[in-house]
Amino acid sequence: MLFRNFAFFIAEAGRGLFKNGWMSLASIGVVAIALLIFGIFVLLNMNVELWTEELREQIEIVAFIEDDAAASERRDLSDLIAQHDDVREVEFVSKGEAFEDLKEMLGEGALEGYEPEENPLRDSYVIRVIEPEMVFGLIDELEELPAVGDVICHKEIVKGLTNFTQALQSAALALMLLLAITATFLIAHTIRLTVMLRSKEIMIMKYVGATDTFIRLPFLFEGLFLGIIGTVIPLACIYYGYGAMIELIGMDLAFLPVVPFNEAITGTASLIVPLGIGLGVVGSLFSIGKYLKV
Amino acid sequence: MIEAYNLTKKYNGKVALSQVTMSISRGEFVFIVGPSGAGKSTFLKLVIREIIPTSGMLKVFGRNVGRLKRGQVSVLRRNIGMVFQEYRLLDERTVFENVAFALRVTGASKEEIKKRVPLALEMVGLKHKINSMVSGLSGGEQQRVGLARAIVNKPAMIIADEPTGNLDPDTTMELMHLLKDINGMGITVIVATHDREAVDKLQKRVVYLDNSEVVGDEARGAYLRAL
Repeated sequence: MLFRNFAFFIAEAGRGLFKNGWMSLASIGVVAIALLIFGIFVLLNMNVELWTEELREQIEIVAFIEDDAAASERRDLSDLIAQHDDVREVEFVSKGEAFEDLKEMLGEGALEGYEPEENPLRDSYVIRVIEPEMVFGLIDELEELPAVGDVICHKEIVKGLTNFTQALQSAALALMLLLAITATFLIAHTIRLTVMLRSKEIMIMKYVGATDTFIRLPFLFEGLFLGIIGTVIPLACIYYGYGAMIELIGMDLAFLPVVPFNEAITGTASLIVPLGIGLGVVGSLFSIGKYLKV
Repeated sequence: MIEAYNLTKKYNGKVALSQVTMSISRGEFVFIVGPSGAGKSTFLKLVIREIIPTSGMLKVFGRNVGRLKRGQVSVLRRNIGMVFQEYRLLDERTVFENVAFALRVTGASKEEIKKRVPLALEMVGLKHKINSMVSGLSGGEQQRVGLARAIVNKPAMIIADEPTGNLDPDTTMELMHLLKDINGMGITVIVATHDREAVDKLQKRVVYLDNSEVVGDEARGAYLRAL
């Protein structure tokens, strides 16, 4: 019976939407804004996570060896690194190689006049660990060895980025919650208005033997439509906006990694679409209850 | 078809219907008469299970309405056609849409609706107005649309609560004759009314309510003779 009346429910829902045109527009607007802000946060979060991951991959420890370190002290150091469980890969850079690298980096002529014997650089080990958090323990162990002069590690950057990602996620969640409550309230209000305007119709439906489900469905569809229309707008903005942003980054900031377009849109849509539909349906369910008691 | 035993209804302690015991058989035409506040509408509301009895028992179609579950109420109401004093039509819709409304909720197919709506309208003499907007019809015509909506589901019973309250005497008698014709088809008709003339002319069973109690019940009665 419900399937047979599907077209009727859709038509009734459409009638309700147009009857309260301004309220419907307001609801769609709030849902759209809420989901757009949420979508932007999702995209931002996806990209910041990508950057964090890339940086975490690149984190390395550089342990400089004192020039006057004894052979046995140097052996202690190489043994520690070679046998350490947290070390993923290690590279020994001699002071000569470091000098050549520096010359290459600064360009020919920049170090003209310096003889290899005057090389102020030191031998070093470039160490990459399995997990970024492991750097802290390894640094402590390295610093205890007499062969080790200085240890350099940009761990603060990773720590900062991780904290930023977490803060961003919390902010997005709090903001979304606030916007979701507002959107649900507005949808519920719009549908309540429709229900009030159609209370006579509902009463007649009850008198002629309509079931509660039959009465509820047009309003449920109305909420669903509000949610869907409110979802399409931010999705379109994100689709075109993110495409343009990727193009812009590709031109001016090519070194910056970005989440690929398809992955980003699919990921955002998979959150926004069910959320928009959910807001519409929950909003409509909130509003009809008391009018069914005839 | 309707059996009431010591049926009582109170609203916030105030008695609206007291110790009513009566029965209405299939195919009967019954007027429920009495002054305002006598309990006529309360009785009809109990029959369609808009309200539930405070005490006593009311059986409609053999089922105790006080014990009906929510889902069973819609089934009960599909077997009862309702006609109201204030018509209760959807003003922004056509005559066809108003009558079709009652069929749609029962899950009738499009073809069935297209077949049965004109038949119901023909029965009340309004087939020619099938595509007219309800808001453009006279009071009598609107009430006949209400009647068509009540009969289109082929109910076993028609309940009319002051159906002629807003109509002139001629239109009142037209409507009463329509109800009589419908009753002639075997449908039970119960009419709550103040209209003495109509009651007197039709010479049907009259149940007289006063002060929430049944004070008279007469087959082929008249408005005052039932007292």
